[in-house]
Parts: sequence; C-alpha cells; structure tokens
Amino acid sequence: MANTIVNKILLVAGFASLLHAAYSAAHYRTYLRLTEQEFTKLPLDIVVQTVVSLIVVIYNVIQIVGNFKEIRATVDMQGKSWDTLGNFPSFYTFNHRGKALSSTYVPEEESSESGKSKMDLIS
Amino acid sequence: MQRVKPTSSKTGELIAYSEAAIRNNISAVEYCRTSMAAISGCAAGILGLNGLLGFLFYFLSVFVLWLLVLMKSGTHWRKFFINRQSLLTNSFMGALCTYVLFWTFLYGMVHVY
Repeated sequence: MANTIVNKILLVAGFASLLHAAYSAAHYRTYLRLTEQEFTKLPLDIVVQTVVSLIVVIYNVIQIVGNFKEIRATVDMQGKSWDTLGNFPSFYTFNHRGKALSSTYVPEEESSESGKSKMDLIS
Repeated sequence: MQRVKPTSSKTGELIAYSEAAIRNNISAVEYCRTSMAAISGCAAGILGLNGLLGFLFYFLSVFVLWLLVLMKSGTHWRKFFINRQSLLTNSFMGALCTYVLFWTFLYGMVHVY
C-alpha cells in the first residue's frame, strides 16, 4: 500500500518535471528568437530531463496498474472449497416438507383452496 | 461461474485458462500502452523531433514498455500471458494515433508558438 503511494507521488513528480521541461524548451525557443539565432538542437539538460521524466512516468504507471493475475484457471480454483464453487443460488429451496420435522411445526387445518394445494405439495 | 478456456500446449497436455484473468491482464497492459503513447508523444513534442525520427522514438518507447511489462511480470511471464509477441504488437496502430496526436500538440505548443 505504501508502495503505491510512493509510486503516485513519483508519477505526479514526473508529470511536473515533464511540464517544466516543456516550459524550458518553449523559453529557450523564445530566447533564440529574440537573439535571432538559428535553432539547431535543444540544450542537453532539457533533453535529459525530458527523457528521465518520461521513463519515470512510464515505470510508475506500470507499477500503479496493479499486479497481473495468474491466467491458469486451476490456480484460481485451488483456493476455493466445493461449498463455494458448487453454490447455485437459483436452486435454493426453502419451502419443502422437511419443515414438518421441526418441533415448533404446527400443521395447518384449512379448507381453503390455497391451503389444500399447499398440503398436497407437502404430503 | 467464471469461464474457462482450454488450450493444448506443445506437449499435448490440456491447460485451462481463466478468461477473466486473461482479460484483466490484457486491459492492464492496454492502460499502460495508452498512457505510454500519450506521455511519449508529449516527450517527442518537447524534444522537437520531426519526421522519421519521431516514429523511431515511438518504436523505441513501445519496445521499452514491452521490456518494462516483462520486467514486472518477472521470469514467469507464461503465468500471466499466453504469448509475448501479441504483448508487443497488440493495438500498435491505435496507440500510434494517440502518440501522433500528443506529439503534434506539444510540438505546436513548444516550438511553433
């Protein structure tokens, strides 16, 4: 966790450094224009700063994106028990005749249509 | 349930790959690739590269990204990716468009105006 915070700070610092390099390059171009010199190449420090901050930013982006997952399916399944893997919520049944075994069960004495069909299902 | 993709290896033995994990890895690499294209485009614009040199810089940064991803996955890259070549060449052109966009933008901002 602390590692990602360090990476984020480095990422922001890299972006700031890149922006600073851009500003320096623009400044250098303005200076050349004012002194009426011909542009041949950027000064070495701006080039070095740009390349270094580029590498820092890319490295930290890769670190931030998180760890890769193992692609073999067996590795993912090894840590799970059958109770987890064979769990199908669509097949849950709560209303079945096993409730007649409960000590608190009171059989319904009804003559209505719905009660009859319920008793049919239970028996 | 997660879907499982069986593929036979060279020895003829079946290996089941977890599709969710593959997609997770590929999307992570895709994220890195897009960021890399944008940032290296910025750098190329700042450096004032033009013409063929800028495209060479793109090839170089793609290669560096590939090396960094392989370095992150360590010595067992086979655990995370099915093959390395697709890691290098995947969405090459799409990232190139992003690269050119940022390259021209930063070049215009720094060197033209």
